[in-house]
Amino acid sequence: MRYKILDMVSGQVDQADVYESEVDLTEVEFRQGKFYSVETKLTQGWGLRVIKNGRVGFSSSTNPERMEELTRAAIEASAFGQNVGFTLPEQQDLPVVQTFENRVLLATVARMQEWGRELIEVLNARMPELKVDLKFSRCYREIGLVNTSGLDCSFQRGELEVMVAGLLVQDGIFWVYDYVNLSGGQDFPLESVAERVINLARLGKQKAILKSGDYPVVVMPTALPQLLLPLLVAINGKHRQKKTSPLIGRENERVLSEKITLVDNRLRPFGTGSAPFDDEGVPARKNVLFERGVFKGFLFDLTTAEACKEQSTGSAVRSYSSLPAPGLSNIELLAGEAELEEVLQAMPAGLVVYSFLGGGMSNLLAGEVTLNVASGYKVENGRIAGRVKDVSVAGNVYELFQRVAAVGATQRDLGDYFLPFVKFSSFKVACKE
Amino acid sequence: MKAFLKEVIDGLAVDYADIRVEESETTRIVVRGQELDDLGQSFERGGCLRVFYRGNWVVASFNVIDESLKELADDLAIQVNELPAREGGLVSLPAFEQVVRAPKNEDPRLVPLAAKQQLIKNYNQILLNHEQIVSTVAAYQDSHKTVYWYSSENRYIEQEFVRSGFSCQAIARDGANIQSYGESFGRAKGFESLKGKEELVERVAKIAIDLLKAEPVTAGKYTVIVDPLLGGIFAHEAFGHLSEADHIAENERLKQLMRIGTRYGVEQLTIVDDPTLPDEVGSYRYDDEGVPAQRTELIAEGRIAGHLHSRHTAYLMGEAITGNARAISYRFPPIVRMSNTYIVPGEKRLEDLLADVQDGLYVVGSRGGMTELETFTFSSQYAYRIENGKRTKMVRDVTLAGNVFETLKNIEAIGNDLSIHGGLGGCGKNGQSPLPVTTGAPHIRIRNVVVGGR
Repeated sequence: MRYKILDMVSGQVDQADVYESEVDLTEVEFRQGKFYSVETKLTQGWGLRVIKNGRVGFSSSTNPERMEELTRAAIEASAFGQNVGFTLPEQQDLPVVQTFENRVLLATVARMQEWGRELIEVLNARMPELKVDLKFSRCYREIGLVNTSGLDCSFQRGELEVMVAGLLVQDGIFWVYDYVNLSGGQDFPLESVAERVINLARLGKQKAILKSGDYPVVVMPTALPQLLLPLLVAINGKHRQKKTSPLIGRENERVLSEKITLVDNRLRPFGTGSAPFDDEGVPARKNVLFERGVFKGFLFDLTTAEACKEQSTGSAVRSYSSLPAPGLSNIELLAGEAELEEVLQAMPAGLVVYSFLGGGMSNLLAGEVTLNVASGYKVENGRIAGRVKDVSVAGNVYELFQRVAAVGATQRDLGDYFLPFVKFSSFKVACKE
Repeated sequence: MKAFLKEVIDGLAVDYADIRVEESETTRIVVRGQELDDLGQSFERGGCLRVFYRGNWVVASFNVIDESLKELADDLAIQVNELPAREGGLVSLPAFEQVVRAPKNEDPRLVPLAAKQQLIKNYNQILLNHEQIVSTVAAYQDSHKTVYWYSSENRYIEQEFVRSGFSCQAIARDGANIQSYGESFGRAKGFESLKGKEELVERVAKIAIDLLKAEPVTAGKYTVIVDPLLGGIFAHEAFGHLSEADHIAENERLKQLMRIGTRYGVEQLTIVDDPTLPDEVGSYRYDDEGVPAQRTELIAEGRIAGHLHSRHTAYLMGEAITGNARAISYRFPPIVRMSNTYIVPGEKRLEDLLADVQDGLYVVGSRGGMTELETFTFSSQYAYRIENGKRTKMVRDVTLAGNVFETLKNIEAIGNDLSIHGGLGGCGKNGQSPLPVTTGAPHIRIRNVVVGGR
C-alpha cells in the first residue's frame, strides 16, 4: 500500500515519504494471582508526509478505502505547514541489527497462560500472602518506509516482555516489581524471576523508619529511568532548536561524573527500540550522549538538524499518525565495577530504591526532580533493615550525576533501557515520619 | 454493515459476542505563539471484537475489515473456551435495530481546512494582541465518527457522532512573575458552534494578565463558594469515579462507603450522570455495549442513589444496567465511564450565596488535581476573596483538599445557575484517555474547606 500512496502523490508535490506500520500485539494478564484477560490489538496504518513549495503537510489513515482523501488532505495541509529545505534520504547500506527471533512467536496465548500459572504457583508456595499481578506482552511489528528520493526499506521486530507486580498487605501496603525482556528468544526464566520477587518481598516484610536528611542512595536499574529523564529530554534536538535545553553550548564539556557514559543505541540486538534505520530512513547508529561525563551532542531528526545547521543523528521517531520528531531508541548506561552487596556493606545508613512513583516534575528541563519512592529499603550498618514508607527524594540531576559514587558491574535489560545500578554519594531524602 | 457483522460473530460457541466497527475523520490544528505547531487530518477505520464465555472476556481490536475477521472471531472463541471458568455473567438485552444520526449544521468534513485554520489563528491573535501575553497555545479539533455495533443477541445499532472544539491558553509575564490561564470549549455540534467565541478568548487573556497582580492566598479554613467549573470537576473527579461499579466491585471499603441509601449531604443535594443531554460532548443514545443511555441519580436528596454500570458489573452486583460502558475508540473494549456529570441546581441566587459570607473565598476552575479513594486535592485556576458578602481582590495558588464525603456534608447551599462545561480534553481511566465527558454544577457554598496556599 505504501508504494501506491507514494505513486498517488508523486508529481503533485516536491517530496514525500510514506510510513507504514503493522503491529500485532497480544497481552495476557493475571490480577491478584488469577487469570484476568487476553487482549489482542492488530494495528495497521499509513502516515503520509509531503513537502510542497517548501512546506510540510501531513495526514494519516487506517482505512485503505480512503487513500484519495489521505493524499488530498496532506497536500491541503501543506499550504499552512512549516518551511523546510532538507532532502529526504536516498537508499543507503543499512547496518544489520538483530530485531526478530522466530522463537518469540512460539509464545502463544496458551503458552503465556501456562507460564503465568506456573509462576503464580511457585510464588504462592513460597509466600502465600503475596498477591501477584502479571502481564505477558508479545508484539510483532513490521515497519516499511518509502520516499520520493528512492528510499525503500522495511524491517520486522519481535518483542516479548513480562511484567510482575507483587502486592504485600501487611502493616500497610508494599509493592515489589520485576520485568524480563525475552525478545531474544530466551526461555522464560521462571526460577530467577521468582527468586528476585520473593527476595524483595521478604526484605519488605520488615518496616523501617528513616529520618529526613541527606543520605547515600543506591538507585536500582528499575528506578533509574526516571532520574535519567531530565537528561534525556535535554539532549533532544527539539529543545536545542527551541533554545530551551540547558545543554546548549556545552558540547565537549564535562557536565556529569566521569563514571557516567550514556549511549542511545538503536543497533543493540533485541532491544524494544532496536532497528536498522530510524523512522525517516536514516541508517541507525550508536550515538554517545555523555562520554565519561562529557556531553557529546544532541539527537536530531531531519527537521531539527536543518534548523540547527547540524546532521540528522538517525533519531527520528514517529508512528503512522504523527510527523517524525527526535526521540530515543535503546538507552545504555555503561557498566562500572561495583557489586551491590559490597556497596551496601560499605553503607552505614542510606536508602536503596527499586521503583519511583512519578512525583512532581517541577521543572524538567532545569533538571529538578522530586520523586516519591514506591518501592525502597532502608540500609543500616551495611544491611537492608526493611522497607520505607512515605519517603521522597529531591534534587537536581545535573548535581546528582556529579556525585556518583559507584556504578554497578552488570547491565539490567529493561527492554529499551540497559542499566546498571548507580550509587549517589548524597541525595536529599524527605520522610513523613 | 449489519449483514457483514452478523456473519462474523453469529454461530460462535460462546455465551455472548459483540463487534463494533468505527469510521472516523479528525482534523487538529495547534498554533503556538506566532507559529503553526501541528496540523493534520486522519482517516481511521477499525473495530473491536469481544467474546464472553463462562465468566471470561477475550478481546481483539483490528484495522483490517474483511472476510479474515471470521477467522479472528473463531480464534477468540477457541481462546475463551480454553480459559478456566469463573463467576460472572452479563445482563442481556433483546434483539433490536436502530440508526441514530447526529445533528449538525456545518458538517466539519465539508468545511475547508483554510477556514478552520483561520478561525483558530484569529482566536490566537486575540491573545497575542495583549502586550503582557508572552506565549500562547491555541488548538482546534473536530471529529466525525460513525459506530456500527452488533451483538450475538441480534441487536444492531448504528450511531453517528460529530464533535467540535477548541482551547486557548495564555501565558502572561511581568519580570520574573509568570502566570498562565486557559479554557477549552467543545460541543457535539458542527463548525458553527465554534464561531463568535471572541468573548471567551478575551476573558482568557484578561485573567492571565489579572493573575500577574493577584497575590497568593493565605492558607487556612474557609467558607468557599465554588463556581460551576470547579463544582463540576468535584462532582466528576472526587465523587463520580467512586460511583463506577468496576471500582466498587474491586474494593471492599468502597462497597461499604457507596451503599445505596447512605446519607452524605443536605436534602437539596442531587448529583446525576446524564448522557441524554442534547449537544454535549459526553452524550450518546446507546453505550458501547448497545445499552440505551439514561439519566442516573448518583446522589438523590443527599443519599447515595445509584452506581454506574456495564452489563458485567450490573450482573455481578445484581443492579439494573445504566448504559455507562464506553470505549475511547475501536482500539479498546468498553469500560465503566461517566458521561455528563453534574450537580442539580437548587434555588439560591449567587448574590444570596455571597451575602451570608463575611470572610471567604470564591474559587474558579481547576488546574487538575489528585484523588485517592475518598481524599482529593484540587488546584483551582484562580479565586477572589469574599469580604462582607462581596467579591473583592483576586488571589492565586489556591488548592482545596479534603475528604469527599465530609465535603459533601459541608455543602450548605446550592445555587440555581447550572452550567455545563465540555472541552477538547476529557476523562482518563485504565489507559483510555481522553474520553469526551462534560461536568457541571451551579454555584455551591461549602463550609470548612481546607485551603492550602503555596
